[in-house]
Amino acid sequence: MSSFRATELDRRNQRRERWVRGLFLVMTLMLILPVLIILGTLAWRGHSVISLDFLLSFPTNGMTEGGIFPALVGTLWLVGVALVVSVPMGVAAAIYLSEYAPENLLTRSINLAIINLAGVPSIVHALFGVGAFVLFFNFGTSILAAGLTLAVMTLPVVIVSTRESLQAVPQAFREASWSLGATRWQTIRRIVLPNSVSGILTGVILEVSRTVGETAPIMFTGAAFFLPFLPLGVGDQTMALSLHLFTVSTQVPNVPEALPFGVALTLISLVLILNAVSIAFRMYLRGKKKW
Amino acid sequence: MRTSTWAVVGLSFLAAACGSNVNGSGRTLIQNKGSDTLVNVAQAWAEAYSTVDPSCAVAVSGGGSGTGISSMINGTVELANASRKMKEREFAAARENGVDPVEHIVGFDALVVYLHHDNPLESITIQQLAEIYGDGGSIERWSQLGVTMPAGTSDEIVRVSRQNNSGTYVYFREAVLGKEGRYKLGSLDMHGSKDVVDLVEKTPGAIGYSGLAYATEHVKLVPVSPGEGQGDVMPTVESAVDGTYPIARPLFMYTAGQPTGKVKEYLDWILSDVGQRIILEKGYAPARHF
Repeated sequence: MSSFRATELDRRNQRRERWVRGLFLVMTLMLILPVLIILGTLAWRGHSVISLDFLLSFPTNGMTEGGIFPALVGTLWLVGVALVVSVPMGVAAAIYLSEYAPENLLTRSINLAIINLAGVPSIVHALFGVGAFVLFFNFGTSILAAGLTLAVMTLPVVIVSTRESLQAVPQAFREASWSLGATRWQTIRRIVLPNSVSGILTGVILEVSRTVGETAPIMFTGAAFFLPFLPLGVGDQTMALSLHLFTVSTQVPNVPEALPFGVALTLISLVLILNAVSIAFRMYLRGKKKW
Repeated sequence: MRTSTWAVVGLSFLAAACGSNVNGSGRTLIQNKGSDTLVNVAQAWAEAYSTVDPSCAVAVSGGGSGTGISSMINGTVELANASRKMKEREFAAARENGVDPVEHIVGFDALVVYLHHDNPLESITIQQLAEIYGDGGSIERWSQLGVTMPAGTSDEIVRVSRQNNSGTYVYFREAVLGKEGRYKLGSLDMHGSKDVVDLVEKTPGAIGYSGLAYATEHVKLVPVSPGEGQGDVMPTVESAVDGTYPIARPLFMYTAGQPTGKVKEYLDWILSDVGQRIILEKGYAPARHF
């Protein structure tokens, strides 16, 4: 009987177990704390300026009044251009690396390059964008130049997450397809891609969140302090929410205190809304998963 | 079929890219970039001008006088804002690029010495400013200026300055420290005119310089005297216009060659009564009497 009774050692282990568990729980909760504080502060201090009119009108009176419509539209343009360029390129590169690439020096160098690209600070991307897109390709300071800069910056995110989700598709699926006589490309298109779409979307979500908030890469390549018109094409310059937040909080005198908070709240809400849409889409696709 | 559709999409994308200077709707776009001192009045001009001439759009960006001038030299902007004159080095770079810069004075700015609200200092001379900011200057503490800081505040002077591509930085050096003058190391160099005022507002022992347009009711504007016993002058639009305020400076716009077409129309409008009234409302002195 006595062998089932808790010994001093057992009790000590149990106490320690509770301790460690509690400690890790507290640490996890502390992770959410900044998120709650940021969202709470922005909502509390910025909600008073948010209105349909604020979102859909131009800034007036030296940007201290009026809305943020051109900045909002500009941010959507920039995200759009960045996605149009980086998603096809990133997915294609990931398919090559995951499905075709032999294990050799070239592949290893490519992987190393991708890791390095991911580690480049955004201000360096900005300088690269000015040199390459604005001056060398002569796109001028435009949505195209800024969007391409953002695309280069976010490419590694798309490649890495796509490659990982492609590799998560069981090898047996591919083998079954090949044994039925399908080619590599037929297998990729009909079997691998449909089964990894939800993972690819995760990469896209991450990209969108990063693109919306970036200021440095667009500051010199396409975003303006103020523009009295909406961009009509990729050759135009644009205002952007992130830069607008920077200017109203540091450059423009006599800004009502709630205004920068309102802009920040809009920026973060835009990220959350875009993310929510792709998360919903991902859940829908995941529901159709076959394994 | 599929491939050709994609080719068309790709080509139209490129075509749109190449026509970057022609606006989508046939609007003329004027690029206006430079001085952070001028950026807010430039924005106000651009905002007002969109109703004067809807066929012309003015894009405004900041970055500093140096940034604007170099963009004008390499041809990416039509109008460079500057709160200082172009340097000989910049003229040389322009000539090398085949550009002949033309200077236009669009207004004047009183460079204000800002103090924390609780600072009891009543006036300051140019020499004292040079001793505070200049390399080798002897003034490090408020007590050396004969003031006693409120209890709980350090006696040490916190110098707030600007980043070195700022026109304000260059002008203050020339006007206060002299042609050969250099700044004392250890100042807090801020990235914008408004940043300087914001920091001084929150720092009890601070002194900073920035444009009159950035004054708020939360900071103290200290009168400046050209020399010991020569009388204090309060920085105002009037004293900047009549030249009695010792550190007032002209504000410039530079064009590559004589302006033509829409750029000329815009500059003429800036110097018209309407344009000059806008710069006055923004807290700067107009370029001429009207």
